[in-house]
Amino acid sequence: MRSALGGGLGLRLELHFSAMQKTMDPYDAPESTPRQHPSCSLKEYFLAATPLQRRLESVRKQATSFVPTPPRRRIPQRSQLQEDVDPQKVAFLLHKQWTLYSLTPLYKFSYTNLKEYSRLLSAFITAEKQKGLAVEVGEDCNIKVVFSTLLGMKGTQSDPEAVLVQILSKPQLPSEDREAKALWTGWFCCVFGDGLLETVSEDFTCLPLFLANGAESNTAIIGTWFQKTFDCYFSPLAINAFNLSWMAAMWTACKMDRYVAATEFLWSVPCSPQSLDISYAIHPEDAKALWDSVHRTPGEVTQEEVDLFMDCLSSHFYRHFRIHLSATRLVRVSTSVASAHTDGKIKIICHKYLIGVLAYLTELAIFQIE
Amino acid sequence: MDETIAEFIRRTILKIPMSEMMTVLEAWNFLSESQLQTLNLRQRKDSLAQSVVLLCEEKCASLSDAALLDIVCTQVHRHQKIWDVYQMSKGPGEDLDLFDIEQFKSSFKKILQRALRNVTVSFRDAEENAVWIRIAWGTQYTKPNQYKPTYVVYYSHTPYAFTSSSRLKSNIPLLGQALTVASKHHQIVKMDLRSRYLDSLKAIVFKQYNQNFEIHNPTAPLQERSVGLDINTDSRIIHENAVEKDKVQRITQETFGDYPQPRLEFAQYKFWKAAMLTTTPQTPTQSLQFHNRFLETKFKSDLNGGILADREEPLRCLIKFSSPHLLEALKSLAPAGIADAPLSPLLTCIPSRGMNYFKIRDK
Repeated sequence: MRSALGGGLGLRLELHFSAMQKTMDPYDAPESTPRQHPSCSLKEYFLAATPLQRRLESVRKQATSFVPTPPRRRIPQRSQLQEDVDPQKVAFLLHKQWTLYSLTPLYKFSYTNLKEYSRLLSAFITAEKQKGLAVEVGEDCNIKVVFSTLLGMKGTQSDPEAVLVQILSKPQLPSEDREAKALWTGWFCCVFGDGLLETVSEDFTCLPLFLANGAESNTAIIGTWFQKTFDCYFSPLAINAFNLSWMAAMWTACKMDRYVAATEFLWSVPCSPQSLDISYAIHPEDAKALWDSVHRTPGEVTQEEVDLFMDCLSSHFYRHFRIHLSATRLVRVSTSVASAHTDGKIKIICHKYLIGVLAYLTELAIFQIE
Repeated sequence: MDETIAEFIRRTILKIPMSEMMTVLEAWNFLSESQLQTLNLRQRKDSLAQSVVLLCEEKCASLSDAALLDIVCTQVHRHQKIWDVYQMSKGPGEDLDLFDIEQFKSSFKKILQRALRNVTVSFRDAEENAVWIRIAWGTQYTKPNQYKPTYVVYYSHTPYAFTSSSRLKSNIPLLGQALTVASKHHQIVKMDLRSRYLDSLKAIVFKQYNQNFEIHNPTAPLQERSVGLDINTDSRIIHENAVEKDKVQRITQETFGDYPQPRLEFAQYKFWKAAMLTTTPQTPTQSLQFHNRFLETKFKSDLNGGILADREEPLRCLIKFSSPHLLEALKSLAPAGIADAPLSPLLTCIPSRGMNYFKIRDK
């Protein structure tokens, strides 16, 4: 029975693999410079093709709809640019649950107008909140919006600076010296977004990844203002099981000084009439050891290795429980680097690999926009 | 009536949903029929609570009356607690003791009072020789905290007691001692079995879960029933794997029976390295070690031409299954094609072994 499981999986993955190799062949050459990032091949992939080729590719892409990505990626590395980021601001971004969105390029967004945007968005939010409230106007609207940049939160020099937007509650009395409390926080970034950057004209700013923390109603209001002001479009960024597996493998591959959490997978089993969740938490050292035994190309993660890693875990599980995890749905992965849920929620834990995590999310966001 | 008792009654009443208010108050059996009739159930709950408190004041309710109301509430909402199971055993030659419930109660209470001085112990007899015990813990110097009690359900003449999980771990050994001595047992062990559903736990430890087998088993054999199902489908559609499907159905039924499964919400399997186990202090749970031959946990994989052939290290992992109704969910896995039939004994042994927390060690 075990070979039936392995065989079935192998067959399915082979199909995907050959489909991808067809589309990716010209860019499959080993990446030589350490600076180079997988999304470069994605860029070339979108630029080099003629319109006809592109349409063909997009048809193929739909046929294998879950494959946004090249069959190999670099293991996240510490970014030099990240050194410039204000450590306080980085700490603020870690350990929080962010809801992900993809965002089309912003039209006529200017980094010199952030103060003006703060004023306009404050006014817009106040107006929106008053709309629904016939009574107690102003009570709820004691807020202040602040735009700022997250300098250095990017992959290459050509990536635009990340932007942080916060809704702060204003102290009720001017004499109060308590700090303004953040009611809602969102940030826009682009990490190794070269592929997208080169396809748009100068009037646009590409910040394809948007992360929000706070009430959804606030996210909606802010989304509306951005869409009106910069003619852009937000859409929720879900993470499918295929990409969750990639995240699990890449994050397990990261060298850690100290593990703070187990490598945990959550599978949801679609059985009726009762739902069933299976959590599979592996000691992080053992997960790393397993990864090392699967891993062959230094510095890189390949599709084959991701599949093998997941197959090994599934077959180990099968040996004990006779349950085929391949027939269930992977909904969450968590590691000491970060955790991600299929519904587009992410928590980044490790400061060192922040840029690496954002690079992959940027890639997914760009794929969704394209 | 003491102010604290009034407050305790008021807070307890506020916890009861309006729809169950009369049932609970009647079951409490403290206020008279005519007193209950004066209550206006249409008023807001806090006003109602106030009216109940006034009636209790008329009758000079004591702390033990109030504690009984709390027990009734907990009996009605037993699913809101997580229950642990304790199993007791007798020493050699201790089999023929006569058990007297009144003696049990007084002895149980005495042991706790002697140790803590400040403790409220209340009893309420329930169906099937069960006694519900409520313990509000205090210390030598502090009064019992009425708002964080432990509940115990003991079935007299049996070696089993069920306790509500509590954060006050320090009193657990004392509680165990009181139960063992009062019920004239010799030893007590906490089982690796936990659930919200007290009745299911009881069914598991008393092996009652298959008693209604005859009632639920239809007279028609499986073969006939599956033919009956096919009538509804298009006769031109042929089930190529009908034989295989029937086989899976049959094996599943053999494994799980044809009766409703006891209700559990989780099962947990912890895979250890042998070396780690020796450094861990022995706990009572380990006296129920799992010794089956299928528990070898070394990581072996013959995938991809033996890439992992040299990896023989055990994988330390913790696997948790959770579901609103775990055993029914597990039962449906093989028929749905998600698992092979028969399912792993690790999963199917849950009711028969009375365990849903497993520690599995590499051989």
